[in-house]
Amino acid sequence: MNHRPFESWLLEELDLTPGQKHELHLHLRECRDCAALAESGVALRSARVRPPAPGFAARFEGRLISHHRAERRRRLWGSLLLAAVGSGLFAWWIAPAVGAFVASPATSIAAWVQQLLHIALSARAILEVTQIMFRIVPDLAPSYLWMVLSSTLAGLGLLWSLSLWRFARGAQGV
Amino acid sequence: MANPDRDEAFWVSQARQGSDEAFTELVGLYQAPVYNLCYRMLGDPGSAEDAAQETFLRAYRYLHRYDPSRAFATWLLSIAAHYCIDRLRRARYALVPLDAEDSEGSVRELADPESPDPEAEVMKREQQELVQALLMNLEGKDRAAIVMRYWHSISEVEIAEALGLTVSAVKSRLHRARRVLASHWEEPSLRGSGERRPHESPAI
Repeated sequence: MNHRPFESWLLEELDLTPGQKHELHLHLRECRDCAALAESGVALRSARVRPPAPGFAARFEGRLISHHRAERRRRLWGSLLLAAVGSGLFAWWIAPAVGAFVASPATSIAAWVQQLLHIALSARAILEVTQIMFRIVPDLAPSYLWMVLSSTLAGLGLLWSLSLWRFARGAQGV
Repeated sequence: MANPDRDEAFWVSQARQGSDEAFTELVGLYQAPVYNLCYRMLGDPGSAEDAAQETFLRAYRYLHRYDPSRAFATWLLSIAAHYCIDRLRRARYALVPLDAEDSEGSVRELADPESPDPEAEVMKREQQELVQALLMNLEGKDRAAIVMRYWHSISEVEIAEALGLTVSAVKSRLHRARRVLASHWEEPSLRGSGERRPHESPAI
């Protein structure tokens, strides 16, 4: 049996003219499929909202208190663990230096000064190398190639920002 | 007279500032739709209670992500629907019936003997049970879409936002679900004997 256009009238829940209503009425007398569609639609529209058992909000309050308690406990243990690990790592890092300083303070101070000098000289060398690179590298390739490279990097950055934005937007529904 | 929309906006804003009392007010306002969605999705009062409570707890934890330009009820129902869909998926893989998990009760729709027409009440209750049995034939997202559309009158656009679908996908899911429900409507196992024939529907 041809269900068109009756099936779409029922599914789309359109406002029908009196003529269309009459046509639909005649079709439903003959077509069991469309009649089932109409009757199940009526059942859906007349279905009731089922409420929870009384005291739902009070039970939620209890659950929220347990949640807060668990959260506080988790935060406390997390802080304690972090402090313990941090202290352990610091002690492990500082122990040899403290030992050496106690054994021979003058040698230790000389070694620290030497270390600082080494860091300062390394930073200066890196700065000089960077300045030289900035002078040499632009001449290694034509300017349009640099433009293509910088546009590609900018495009990738934009793509990354867009995906982050979409991800953050998707998280709205939790 | 209190404006329910203003109440909602007020409680949401207070809850976002960290007021647990305000959030509990919101729980009181939306417990029925959220519980109903969970019950229609899971088909068991105990599981529905647990899912509804979990929905509100998730909403509480992620309240900072709520976009006030959207309806708060739709946002809550979206969380509930996603949670129930996940739960149905897990239950399918674990082969554990949902009603075996817990058994907290809820208000059962019993016929009221004081009602002026207890027979009509009984018929209504039977029809509610029939509708619930029919819903269990639907796939998770289709079920969520049908409940949002027919129980809570949520627009197709909002359903699409809530379920992460396009509007046309929501339409086609609703149509498919309606066809599935209609195909099961006639099953003798669902309907008792001596019932009204389809053409005798009050809609017609």
